[in-house]
Amino acid sequence: MAIRILTVEDDERIRTSVRLALEDEGWEVDEAPTGEEALAAFRRAPADVVLVDIMLPGMSGFDLCRNLRRFSDVPIVVVTARSDTHDVVAGLEAGADDYLTKPFAPKELSARIRALLRRARPSAGGHSLLVFGDLEIVPDEGRVTLAGRELSLTKTEFRLLCELAQDPGGVFSREVLLDRVWGYGYFGDGRLVDVHVRRLRTKVEVDPAHPRHIVTVRGLGYRLQP
Amino acid sequence: MTSLDPVRGASRRRIGTIARAVRRVAARVDPRRVGVRNRILVTFLGGSFVLGLVATLTTYGVTRTRLVEQQEEVAVERAVLAARRAGAELAVSPSDLAGAVARAGGAPRVVVAPWSTASSSGLVGTDDVPAALLERVHVGRVAASMVAPFGEGQAVVVGVPLATSGASYFEFSSLDGVNSSLDSLRTSLAFSLAITAAVGAILAMSASRGAVRPLSNAAQAARAIADGRLDTRLEATDDPDLRALTSAFNDMARSLQDRVDRDVRFASNVSHELRSPLMTLAASVEVMQSRRDELPERSRAALDLLAGDVDRFRRLVEDLLEISRYDAGAVRLLREPLLLTEFVRQAVAASSLPATPVAESGDVASMVVHGDRRRLARVVANLIDNARVHGGGRPAVTVQPADGEPPTHAQIVVTDEGDGLIEGEAAGIFERFSRGGTAGRRAKQDGAGLGLALALEHVALHGGRIWAANRTDGIRGARFVVELPIEVRSAAYHGDER
Repeated sequence: MAIRILTVEDDERIRTSVRLALEDEGWEVDEAPTGEEALAAFRRAPADVVLVDIMLPGMSGFDLCRNLRRFSDVPIVVVTARSDTHDVVAGLEAGADDYLTKPFAPKELSARIRALLRRARPSAGGHSLLVFGDLEIVPDEGRVTLAGRELSLTKTEFRLLCELAQDPGGVFSREVLLDRVWGYGYFGDGRLVDVHVRRLRTKVEVDPAHPRHIVTVRGLGYRLQP
Repeated sequence: MTSLDPVRGASRRRIGTIARAVRRVAARVDPRRVGVRNRILVTFLGGSFVLGLVATLTTYGVTRTRLVEQQEEVAVERAVLAARRAGAELAVSPSDLAGAVARAGGAPRVVVAPWSTASSSGLVGTDDVPAALLERVHVGRVAASMVAPFGEGQAVVVGVPLATSGASYFEFSSLDGVNSSLDSLRTSLAFSLAITAAVGAILAMSASRGAVRPLSNAAQAARAIADGRLDTRLEATDDPDLRALTSAFNDMARSLQDRVDRDVRFASNVSHELRSPLMTLAASVEVMQSRRDELPERSRAALDLLAGDVDRFRRLVEDLLEISRYDAGAVRLLREPLLLTEFVRQAVAASSLPATPVAESGDVASMVVHGDRRRLARVVANLIDNARVHGGGRPAVTVQPADGEPPTHAQIVVTDEGDGLIEGEAAGIFERFSRGGTAGRRAKQDGAGLGLALALEHVALHGGRIWAANRTDGIRGARFVVELPIEVRSAAYHGDER
């Protein structure tokens, strides 16, 4: 089955040119000019990746991300105007998996989409069940339970958790996590890791302010407590 | 009529000398360079000192005259009585001058008769009587008195002509008591003059400070505006003299801020507006590039030109956006501890000449810079771009500690093998759209001229410096140095909390 990308962008010319470029990658592309139409289109035919411009008329890109997250774990890439504003963190906190800054080269976009698609299918890692106290991970089935209750993680959150679980107690630097989960090199944005850890904590921790499972190691990175 | 006259002449000469010296100094001092504050200080201080001095001298003079007069009155009264006694004695025995002197009693005294003189002791004689007084009393037969030197000090000399026998009586009444009173008066007056001057100095300082404060406030505010804090304003005041300054200053600051805001907004809006068409261009060119092989040769050449310039345009707009963020003061660094050598290697690897050699000089292996990874990488990339375009295309990078023991800064040095810098070009090269090379030898460059300006902004925001010079190692070429503050090693484990 062909991979479907949903592009949400109010500028028709950009939308069309991006569609042409993505179709050259062999992907099917759906387009939506507003957040409302994007939600409707996604419900009609779920996409494998959603590309969301933050500056949308009507429902904002942030709200669209939050709405999508209510019922889907689809990988979302947000397009922001600037990389150093609050937009990036806000977009990631609204549920986005990655971001791009306008104007980006379509090559960058397809590289990001490929990394997300790779990530959306985590490798088994050789373990069928990983147990951390009340937290249980079943990598093959993509399932995580906390005290027996099933958690709904996005694909990126799940992949991040699985990477941390590869070496329980071992410290993972931001660089390593950016490389393994997002496919970024040295110049990846560490905020991707930080916000995803924060999001993951709200799901797998009883008290996210005092995490017991995913622990910060000052100046070094993160560790999954065995 | 007193012996003070010559002394007064000497002091007048001294005052003249001082006045001339002051005039000479004053002539050499430019009042504009002395400063308002010092002028107020000097005027106040000088005024209070002169007033104090006048008051002191007047007090002293009046008191002195009064005391001497009193002493003189007493002396005259006493001398008249004594002369009466001496006259009575002479009337009884006209030749017994010594007897008359003895009968007069009290103060040192002399009786002068046409035929002889007699005195109360060997310490006093006719010589002690001033000639003028002797003339007036003995010859003119008029009672008179005057102040004259006597012994070690001064005395009031009173002369009374005796009715009988044509003799005259002179009595000396010492002024030592008066002089010692005047001594203590002088001391206390000098003391109070000193206090007046000190109080004057304190008042002068506070007055000058008060007068200059609005000026220094205005200067401070102007400096703040020059430093980019355009929202600086002077506090409103009720002082009518200052209100004009305050409101004019604030109006100026406001219009300056409006104008800068407008310019910044314009640059930012233009860049933002350019991004949407750029996105379309970039995506469309890429679609065409993937079909490059299907195109005829001429179209292919045109497409290559288009693709190259779309990419250049994109970088220019990104740079413009970034620099307008600097102008708006809206840049926020995403700082994190970076192991310097690793960072430089990665930044070079991501640049347009990834094979550029990176050398380490000195103990830099453990140096950590607290910086914005991607912005600092842009600095390195821009310097390498600059070397690629202008510097002969063979740059080399060295990471080294800056001077200082222990070093507080590290340097990233990018050298090239180009033609080097023309004299006077080194500073201007960091200006926006600086094309460098006035001789046009850089005319072929493809850079937009924002790379080095942006590098300067990035480095400055990191608290560092960047400069360019010609190489000094004997090879022709330029040398760009980025100097960044380094962290103390243990600090690498802090400041990473996000």
